[in-house]
Amino acid sequence: MSTRPPAFLRRLLESILPPGPIREGLVGDLDELYAERTAQGRRLTGAWYLRQVASAAVRYRGGRRGNARKGGSWFDGLFFDLRVGGRMLVKFPGLTIVGGISMAFAICAGIVIFELVTAFGYPTLPVPAGERVVQIRSWDLVAGRPEERVLYDFVVWRDELRSVIELGAWRDVTRTMIDAGGEGRAVHAAEITASGFRVAGAAPLLGRVLALTDERPGAAPVAVLGYELWRSRFGGDPEVVGRSVELGGQRTTIVGVMDDGFGFPVSHQLWMPLRVPTGNQEPRSGPPIRVFGELAPGATLETAQAELTALGGRAAVNSPATHEFLQPRVLSYLKGFYEPSATDLVLAYSIFFFALMLVVVICGNVALLLFARAATRESELVVRSALGAGRGRIVAQMFAEALVLGGVAAVVGLLAARSVLAMWGVDFLEGNMGRLPFWIDVGLSPATVLVAIGLAVLGSAVAGILPGITVTRGMGSRLRRAAAGAGGVQFGGIWSAVIVVQVAVTVAFPSIAYVQFWQVRHTQTFEAGFAAEEYLTVRIEQDAPILSGSEADSARQVPAVSLALTIDELRRRLEAEPGVGGVTYIDRLPRTGHRDYEIELSDAPLVTAQALGGSSPLPPLREADVALIDPTYFHVLGKDVVAGRAFNGNDLAPGTRVVIVDHGFVDQVLQGRNALGQQVRFVDDVPFEAAEGPGSWYEVVGVVEELGMGAPWKRGRAAGLYLPATPDRLETLHMMVHVRGDPMALVPRVREVAAAVDATLGLTDFQRADDILKVWGSALWLVVASLFAAIALLLSLAGIYAVLSFTVTRRTREVGVRVALGAGRARVFREIFRRPLSWVGIGVLSGSLLIAVLAALARGTNFSWADSLPSRFSLMHLATLMGYATVMLGICLLACVVPTRRALGVEPTEALGTD
Amino acid sequence: MTNRAALGEFEHLVLATALRVKDAYGAELMRELEERTGRQVQGGSLYVTIDRLERKGFVVTRLEDPNGRRAGRPKRYVEVTAAGVRALAEQRDALLRAWQDIEQTLDRA
Repeated sequence: MSTRPPAFLRRLLESILPPGPIREGLVGDLDELYAERTAQGRRLTGAWYLRQVASAAVRYRGGRRGNARKGGSWFDGLFFDLRVGGRMLVKFPGLTIVGGISMAFAICAGIVIFELVTAFGYPTLPVPAGERVVQIRSWDLVAGRPEERVLYDFVVWRDELRSVIELGAWRDVTRTMIDAGGEGRAVHAAEITASGFRVAGAAPLLGRVLALTDERPGAAPVAVLGYELWRSRFGGDPEVVGRSVELGGQRTTIVGVMDDGFGFPVSHQLWMPLRVPTGNQEPRSGPPIRVFGELAPGATLETAQAELTALGGRAAVNSPATHEFLQPRVLSYLKGFYEPSATDLVLAYSIFFFALMLVVVICGNVALLLFARAATRESELVVRSALGAGRGRIVAQMFAEALVLGGVAAVVGLLAARSVLAMWGVDFLEGNMGRLPFWIDVGLSPATVLVAIGLAVLGSAVAGILPGITVTRGMGSRLRRAAAGAGGVQFGGIWSAVIVVQVAVTVAFPSIAYVQFWQVRHTQTFEAGFAAEEYLTVRIEQDAPILSGSEADSARQVPAVSLALTIDELRRRLEAEPGVGGVTYIDRLPRTGHRDYEIELSDAPLVTAQALGGSSPLPPLREADVALIDPTYFHVLGKDVVAGRAFNGNDLAPGTRVVIVDHGFVDQVLQGRNALGQQVRFVDDVPFEAAEGPGSWYEVVGVVEELGMGAPWKRGRAAGLYLPATPDRLETLHMMVHVRGDPMALVPRVREVAAAVDATLGLTDFQRADDILKVWGSALWLVVASLFAAIALLLSLAGIYAVLSFTVTRRTREVGVRVALGAGRARVFREIFRRPLSWVGIGVLSGSLLIAVLAALARGTNFSWADSLPSRFSLMHLATLMGYATVMLGICLLACVVPTRRALGVEPTEALGTD
Repeated sequence: MTNRAALGEFEHLVLATALRVKDAYGAELMRELEERTGRQVQGGSLYVTIDRLERKGFVVTRLEDPNGRRAGRPKRYVEVTAAGVRALAEQRDALLRAWQDIEQTLDRA
């Protein structure tokens, strides 16, 4: 359990308290007591903290309420209305429960979606003056991508730029941290200049941050730990500062620990000084780095860009060979990582709009229930009107009643959303995107609480004001009719529309579950092509070389050689272990998506669809998913080539250019032609291993079955192409171990063997090869989405039943009169059922239309499940829809039959007496 | 004793606790008050009371550097002034006078 109070409550407390000693002192005191209570294992610490926040709110924000009570009568009126609203909730528990759960559910869904959309669409950098923090990137106009080898330029910018201050840089490295047991674990670290901590405005939890002196050549190696790393690897030891650990092969002193949540520059948990070479750094050389800074007071992005452009122009003149086509650009810090495209924003808005519609539709359902209740209170309202209550007053009261319900629902919805986000939000996001940047916070923010309040007010307006206006319409004539013994609120046109929309949406909702079903099916049927359950997979990383001066470039080559030897030794030792059938390597694991490259065949120049005429329904594919593999790969997977030959050691020799393709490639790229002997080359971009560059031809020497190239979330069938490579040349390195028995049981032994071979090897992401799909976050999200849809469906059905049942009950008097006048039962049934049945009928038709529109829109997207959607309306779909319509009509009939039968059983005289 | 100097019940408890505890600050006062009185103390109430006592001149407060602890949040120390000690003494005397001769009645109850 965290020793820090929930972030959103803490922020709320900070916003409540006046700045200065009171805020500083009280927030710190409550933090301290919270940590103490958590450490003591006391229960309900969160509730204790909430009470403290509430008390602070009363003490420091309570003054306004008192003034209003003294000065304005509106407050008394509102207070009275809210009290009456509260009593009404108790008086009608069924409605309270159904309506409250509905609204809470809608608000919860709205908040969750809002949080996820804003976290990505509109992130903010949670550091002081976050909007003034910038990145400087050097854009290679020829390659169309950023040039990250900018150590040379960084030194120039740092010395000369005036409009950007605190200029710093970092680079991502993986360092193996060896603990007391001698076991190495890879840690995602940043080598960063000390200015990073000043830009981030972060104070350490313990010790100190990095200082300028740490960057000097020859300074003692030091590191600052992230909060999570400190907790997980050092057990939160308060005496950790000053301790020495082995980090990347050298003894390093820990000088500080950062606070929880700090991850600048992205999602780092370990910081070491970036030693910028002081000697003459060659332009466009050295390791890739990223440059950041803060706009100087008075400077803007435009002035900074102007200054930078001038520096860039000078560099282009002085060093045309390297800088002629380089353009330095300054951009806000977060845009340096990700800038949502117009399409992304449209998608985000659409999702949020969907959430708003969900709230409105569900609150429409609650409105129906409240309207039905208001109708039962007609006589009370008429009396109030007769006693002088204006229409506005009555509507206000109904709004206040709905507001009480909405308020309770907002609290429940917020708590539920918080649980959903805590339980699934981070898993979902990290499952899809890897470790989250520190500025992505899926906890509830004050803005989210405001949105919840907004949704509650919107919902209450729909659920309270609409019925209020309807029920008070023509109150004067109602009063006269009531005096004459007649009356009765009727469901008019607007309510008919609300019911129809309810039914339509209820029909359309299951289509989400339908899509979910197809998605799961698509995922499950995405075959690995080999016995994945028998393989243990693990990612292997080795420390990047430590940057020390201008020799950094040449140093890059050294570890690769030693890695090749290390990996060979690791393979040899593991293969000697009992139960191990073989060890092999690949850059990316099967079914996790390989990078695709545009390719060209020697015997078939690029062909367009038009050129093919009518001879083929599809143009030949000119893209391949490329995997870099160890030559033993197919043999270890137990899947030898089906044609040609497998890779061998000779294929690794420089200048040997051979590939093996899979059946997907043969079918789609070669369109069934014989693959062996075909020549293939990469058109623009090349896999980095293929150092020959674009234009070199590769010969197809073998064909294999489809072995999990592509990924379940990608559209279409992959065309797989394999290149042989030594493990040290892979950008990412995954080891696959064939194990007889439970693969996961071998994990401790693999760790031991790896530590014995080379303690700086970092092993992460141990999993069975068939478990890869289980961690796929989107599936989890779709499960949640289906759950939401199912709950919405149930609530909607309950609402429709209640309202239809109510409308029929209201016609008891009419039934009595008709029967008294001699009408037959069949005719009465027909009359009674006509309207509800037509509502449901129109609703089902509209819902079907909605499904068709949604399906058409979905096909236009790039999501894989669009592939699995049926391309045309089949008989089975018609039958499914008919079945569903029958269920809806059944519910409708049930809702009508029971009260109608009851009405028919009533004596006419008795019926005439009912009000 | 002037009305301004009169101590409310909670003020009385806070002042007495601040006098007893060495280096009293918010969290320490809350702990001590809870332990001594057996009732849960709300931080907001405590701070409002401390502010009131400070306005009355019975305590002075100061913020102190946390030395890297408490996530950088300083402690707000409370020190009872001579006027505060006098007010407590007067309060005690007044209470003792009020309690005179009723101890036995209470014991029988």
